[in-house]
Order: sequence, then structure tokens, then C-alpha cells
Amino acid sequence: MSKPLKLFLKLLLAVFGFFAVTFTVYIFNLDMKLTALIEPVLLKHYDRIERDKHL
Amino acid sequence: MAKKVGADRFGDFYIDGGKVRKRREWRGLADTMYDYSRWLKIMTILGKFVMNPRNVKAMFRYRWMANYLAVPMMVDRHTQGLRGEYLRICHEEQDLIIDDVAKLLNNLFRGDRRIGNDEEFSKKVVLVDENEMTTVMMGFPNLKGLSRETPSTYVSVLLNQHAAEHYIDVAQEFGLAGDVCPMPEAEAGVSIDDDAPVLGACALQCNTTCDGSLLGNGVISRRLEKEDGIPVFQIAAPLRHREDDVQEYAAQEIRNAIAFVEKHTGQKWDWKHYFECARRVNYATKCRQEWLEMNRTPYPQVFGSNLALYTETNYMAICGKIPEFERADRRITALARKAYEKKKMAAKEYRHRAIIWGVQSHYYMDFLVWLLNCWGIVPLTDMLSMVSTRVLKEEDTPENRETAYYDMAWLTENMIMRNRTHGGYKVLLDELWEYVEMFNADMVILWEHMSCKALDGMHGMFEEKAREKGIPLVWVQHDLFDPRIISRQGVRDQINTFMRTVMNEEPIDPSLEVLHDEQSW
Repeated sequence: MSKPLKLFLKLLLAVFGFFAVTFTVYIFNLDMKLTALIEPVLLKHYDRIERDKHL
Repeated sequence: MAKKVGADRFGDFYIDGGKVRKRREWRGLADTMYDYSRWLKIMTILGKFVMNPRNVKAMFRYRWMANYLAVPMMVDRHTQGLRGEYLRICHEEQDLIIDDVAKLLNNLFRGDRRIGNDEEFSKKVVLVDENEMTTVMMGFPNLKGLSRETPSTYVSVLLNQHAAEHYIDVAQEFGLAGDVCPMPEAEAGVSIDDDAPVLGACALQCNTTCDGSLLGNGVISRRLEKEDGIPVFQIAAPLRHREDDVQEYAAQEIRNAIAFVEKHTGQKWDWKHYFECARRVNYATKCRQEWLEMNRTPYPQVFGSNLALYTETNYMAICGKIPEFERADRRITALARKAYEKKKMAAKEYRHRAIIWGVQSHYYMDFLVWLLNCWGIVPLTDMLSMVSTRVLKEEDTPENRETAYYDMAWLTENMIMRNRTHGGYKVLLDELWEYVEMFNADMVILWEHMSCKALDGMHGMFEEKAREKGIPLVWVQHDLFDPRIISRQGVRDQINTFMRTVMNEEPIDPSLEVLHDEQSW
């Protein structure tokens, strides 16, 4: 197999891999399912921050 | 999974008691690929945003930043069921707004004394109120007019229905009244909670609309002036904005505000830049009028949240200052014309043509999408989108410079919401019925924001007029920023009951009638 063809196939594979992963995340809403898990951790962190709370 | 408009049961996408939805819609190959490509674009914007260490630091400092985890879901809520041009119009708007808010956050954190602490940049920042026209910044091309309240409260509640609850509680813990509008109350809560970025050479506030707004501004300006050393100017725009005798005073307030900004920033007002922005405002007005014209026909194109959210942003916060919005106006109009020529519809069935009046529930902005998908009610236009259509002077002449002060004052007086909740009987009540006729509407949906005293007093008069005109009118109660008072399902129940008992109808999509989305973003 020639070098340019190999490179092309690798590129094609990378594009397809990127599409397969990101489209799965997109259609099954995995990005939102993950961030929904992060939110409670962040809220606990905010509660611990010292603040100059006053009118 | 359906390509055809309205073939999905949208209720099936919800997880009972869940924060997010099961999956995204399959809209047919072309539309799904388009939506996926826009999702990738949004992820790129968010990715770039978190690549900046300053923004990561801010994420761990400010509680309201957690709401930005929900950005892609906000877009999904507003694109529910949309195909073709409608989907593209929605993305044109939402993606641009996301990009604009990301830039706003970037700038806020750059100048913020706690985060970026770029002092030179901070000297070029003028803080502006969220609930305020930004006309007085149209002639300062070298300054940044930044709103802290827009990302901390306004956008946050669009992203997450529960976003303001913490701040409302903080404000009330410190003795502020619980019966004022929860929007300014939450803004005051952010300030009390020490959760607002600190930056800027000076700040501009406006006597926007109500007791809550004045209360919030008082609390915020006290901290800004007395602790942060940031001088504040209050633009006291007249409330009787349709009266000729207040216009000279209103124009003088604008002159004073400009002089205040010049004094504290060392910058000079640039008329060339002002008239350039005025030209863009006029273009936005022309496009909006064209969309509204289409909405008068049986084939409305830019309506519902596509009209409401974009108008709020473009009219009030942008004010012609950002050229990208002019380009978006052009693309949206082209898409709308294309769909109109083909007589396209956004849902499988249009049963009712409704005017939405009053101040809408902020924690349920996608209610307008739900109305269409669940009951086939087309929200032709809403009160907050019916703003000034006055053509501003856009040529730089000595006479036009003088008129420009009046134009800026007029826009400030006619800020979104303020132009209807104040200004008398005609603007709130009479013009509603003029729009009902103009848009050939057969139904009025009247938001009753229970903390908005400006509207509550007119309850009986609206009903009397609806009976006289023979137009079905339904009240929908909510508490703007606080879904603990009336939940999203509480909002839906009022429509469901009305449609079943008064209109004697069955829903188009029964799966949407009851949704357990009380924990949802």
C-alpha cells in the first residue's frame, strides 16, 4: 500500500472514530448526563467558600 | 424516532424526576446532522472557554457558574420538535447568544479583582444593569459595557430553573421583602452573597420598573460605591413614557449619563460610532417588523421563544453595538422568507393563534415550545417582543445629534417590559386588543407574574375586555424566577385545565401534558 493511501486511510479512520464517539455522546445525551453528576459536587464546594456576606 | 414534524411523543424523552433527558431527538438525517454539527460548535465554544485558566478559577469561585454546565440542554429545550428552517433559525439565535455570553464572562473575569485583575482593562469597563437599555454605550467604541447580572441571574435561570433560589433566600435572610419581584431580589442576593465580580471604572443603573428593581439597585450600588469604590449613576427615566412633556427631562438624563461616563473613564462620546449602531438598531427593527408581518398570516415563521429570547437580547443588551447580530438578523430573515414561501409549519397542527401577554415565566421560557407541541397553540407574539419600532436618526448632522438624545431616551424609557408595565392603560390593556385584531388571534394567554404589582392591579379589566370581545383568555400564574412557588407543571396544569374544560379539547401530544420535571435543569 502506498504511503499517501495509508495516510488517507488513517485520516479517514480518525474522522470516523471522532464522529462515532461524538455522535454517540450527542444522541444519548451523555454530555448532559455527565455534567448532571458534576453539579452537586460543585454546589458543595461553593458552600465551603468563605464570603463577606452582608447588605 | 421520527423525521416527520410532530410524529414524536416528546414526553417520552423525559426521565421522571431526572435532571436531564434520556436522549436527543432524531429529526431525520439532514436535520439531525445539522443539529449535531451545531452541538459540536457549542461544545467548541464551551471547550475554548474552559481552556482559559481564568475562567476555570471563576467556575470554582462563583456559585452561579455551575448553571453553565446546562448550556447544551437549554438549546435542546428550545429546539424540541423543530425541523428545517425553524431549527436553523433557533440555532442562529441561540448559538450567537451563547457565544456572546461566553465573551461577556471572559471579559468580566478578565477585569475581576478576584480573578484576572487586569487593572488597565477594568478602567475601560462600565458596568450596566441587566434590566436596562444599553443605548448610552452606543457612542463609546473603546469602552466595554458589561452586565454582571446578565450571566449571574438572567441567563442562569434560563439554563437552570433553580438557579436563583439560593440568592432569593440570601436576600430574604437579610430582611429584604419576600413579595417583590424575584429577579431584582436575586440580583441583590448575588451582591449580598459576595458573589458578583468586582470591576469597572463606573456603573450605570436604571430605575427600571418596580419596587423590587429599586430595592435591588439600592443594595448593589451601596456595595459598589462604598466598598468597591465604583461610582454609580442612576438613570431616572420617566415612567409616563408616552407623554410629550417628559421627553426633554428624559433626554437630559441621557446627556447626564454620557457626561458621567466621560468623566469617570476619560473617553469622549463618538458620534460616528453612535450613528453606526443606530443604523444597526434600525435594521434589527426592520427585520423584526417583517417577522411580525409574517406572523399575521396563517404561516408565522419567527415566533414563540425564537422571537422572545432573541428580541430581548438584541433589542436591550446589544442595541446595535455588535455587528454579528446584524448578520444574524439577515440570515434569520432569509430563512423565514424561504419557509414562508413554502408555507411551512413548525408543528403538525395549528389549532389556535394566541397572543402571549404579561411578563413570562423565566424559569420556563420553553413553555412557548410546549404550547405548540402539546396543544397546537401558536404563540404569535408576546408582550416583551412588542417593543419600540421608532426609526432612529442614523445620519451624522448637528440636528440629528440633538434628536439622538431623544432617540436614546425613548429607547431607555421603552425598555422591554417597562414599555408595557408602565406608561398607562393604553400600552398595557388597549394595545393588547389591537394586537389581537392585527394578528387575527383567537386566544390570549396572560401571564400573571404574582410578584409584579404593576400588572396585578389590571386583572379585572383584562377579563372584562376579553368578555366584551368574545376572546378566550387564560391566566397563567408563576413567580418569574422561583419555581418553588409555582412549578413548571403548575404552569402547564393551568393551560391543561383550561383547554380541557373551557375549550373542550384533547392535546395533540398527550405525553407532554404531565411531566415530572421539577428536578430538571
